[in-house]
Amino acid sequence: MRVLLIEDDAMIGEAVRTGLRQDGFTVDWVREAEAGDAAIKAEAYALLLLDLGLPRKSGLDWLRELRRRGIRIPVLILTARDAVADRVAGLDSGADDYLVKPFDLDELSARLRALLRRDTGRAQPLLEHGGLSLDPATHEASYRGATISLSAREFTLVAALLERPGAILSRAQLEQRLYGWGEEVESNAVEVHIHHLRKKLGADFIRNVRGLGYTVSKAQ
Amino acid sequence: MTASIRGQLLAWLLGALVIAGLLIGYSAYHRAQEDIDELLDYQLKQLAFSLSHQSVASAPMPPGLPLPEPDFITQVWDKDGVQMFYSRPNLAIPLRPRPGFSNVEWSHQVWRVFTQLDGFRIIQVAHPLSLREEMATSLTRRAVMPLVLLLPLLGVGIWIIVGHALRPLSRISSALRARTPSSLEPLPQQDLPEELVPLLGSLNDLLQRLNRALEAQRHFVADAAHELRSPLTAVQLQLQLLKRAASDDERTLALTRLERGVQRSTRLVQQLLTLARQDPQEPRTDRESVDLDRLAREVIADFEPMAQRDRLTLSLESQGPLDFRGDSESLRVMLGNLVDNAIRYTSRGGVIVRVRERDGSVVLEVEDTGAGIPAEERARVFDRFYRVPGQKIEEGSGLGLAIVKRVADRHRGRISLDAGAGQSGLRVTVELPAGNS
Repeated sequence: MRVLLIEDDAMIGEAVRTGLRQDGFTVDWVREAEAGDAAIKAEAYALLLLDLGLPRKSGLDWLRELRRRGIRIPVLILTARDAVADRVAGLDSGADDYLVKPFDLDELSARLRALLRRDTGRAQPLLEHGGLSLDPATHEASYRGATISLSAREFTLVAALLERPGAILSRAQLEQRLYGWGEEVESNAVEVHIHHLRKKLGADFIRNVRGLGYTVSKAQ
Repeated sequence: MTASIRGQLLAWLLGALVIAGLLIGYSAYHRAQEDIDELLDYQLKQLAFSLSHQSVASAPMPPGLPLPEPDFITQVWDKDGVQMFYSRPNLAIPLRPRPGFSNVEWSHQVWRVFTQLDGFRIIQVAHPLSLREEMATSLTRRAVMPLVLLLPLLGVGIWIIVGHALRPLSRISSALRARTPSSLEPLPQQDLPEELVPLLGSLNDLLQRLNRALEAQRHFVADAAHELRSPLTAVQLQLQLLKRAASDDERTLALTRLERGVQRSTRLVQQLLTLARQDPQEPRTDRESVDLDRLAREVIADFEPMAQRDRLTLSLESQGPLDFRGDSESLRVMLGNLVDNAIRYTSRGGVIVRVRERDGSVVLEVEDTGAGIPAEERARVFDRFYRVPGQKIEEGSGLGLAIVKRVADRHRGRISLDAGAGQSGLRVTVELPAGNS
């Protein structure tokens, strides 16, 4: 899951990025709204994490602008303003959720997962398909009733495919999901992870569509 | 009854009326006496004349007749001193041979006597003086009595009118009672007697100043509460990352970051307290003599380790001892903040502190070779919690220059910012008027 964090406070940004990465998110971090604009144009993000106290431009104004431009990425606001009026203003400006500083990393992750579920139209917290069950909260996976162990990257990769069964994701799209900015992309990484996944899930679980990418079959 | 305006007015006005009444009574009594004397003397005289034109029977009145006793006594003698007539046989005032008016004491009373000689008769008419006094007293009583009767009525009237006139006072006091620290709007000033307008003006002025001070305080607390959340958020997140750390390397990194977060929180709290202590509302009278040269040397010594760590040169340009009357602790905090900022925002080069005298002012200057502040940001950097966008410094509290400004304000000084001699760094010049002792 690729997440864009817009936060001007260096310490908070650093800590949120580290924590969310540990929870399996891919995090890009910018410190100003202008840089956020550029990032949104360049990458496809599943979520925006927006701090309201940004320099130069208020986070709320930027959010309203995004919504006016028709950008519908779910947005979670991080802010030090805790008055009810502020929360109402935040949600009415187009935010999907609101978290007041100081907050808990685990709660932040849980809220991000809930937002993603809502966005992909799923009600239950587990991702399930063809006998494979993934719990994004705990990173636990089970296949045909038996617990299997997946590395963080393997988990992210197969979760991306399970979100929309039948859809074909290109190697570049998968790499985007796996690596944030500044993280070095190992060559053939996607192929290597797919190889490992096929060993654990069987050769047919993930199909390779030649020249296009990878998919899990819609009906199994 | 401690100095009730109503009671005092009542007592003084009634007292004045009583005194006026006594004076009126006194003068009325005297006027009446004079008038009565004149009138009754005239009457005595007329009576005597009228008798002299009558041919009085030579025979005395038969005694014992039950006649009403008049106030007057009339006696007639012939020129040989033989009494020819007397009106009151039992009251026979001795003959006064001298003509005209005289007072005669006789038979336990004083009598007013008029004696007339008309050639062959002596006519003497008299009445007691006490009669005159009775008349004067009764006349005076009639003049003063209405005032005495009116006195209680006037008292009630004064009580009511004064109470009515004082009603604006009780209106003001109940309006004042309704004021709370959160509602300090001015008191209504319409329909006020002229005398109360200045009082209300001063009260409203006080309320306004109080309101401004409270407002500033509220803003400060709100700002502080907001700003404290950032370092606390960082610390909480860093602590969670520390708990999550799986390897020694991760743990060491997390600990280092946590330590920086705690340092940042500590610094922010210290700066907040410093700023609160430099409250501009609080008048400072404890001006002492400060040697700015020595103060600058001490501050430089304090920051030398920090400058060495960052490989910066920290130097002083001064022409020797320079006395200034001011608050040495505030001045130390101010210079310390300037040097601290300069070191933080400078990565290469150095920081110069200058102390000098110019046109009756002392000038403290701190110049660095750092990134500087863009001209368009310079006006805002003195605002509380304002940080120049794009600065990479994360420990900044956003309060340093606000504190500098406040100390300068309290010494009636001026601050100016420019890029300095090298046109690249930042030069902060604080000019403090010296003649403020």
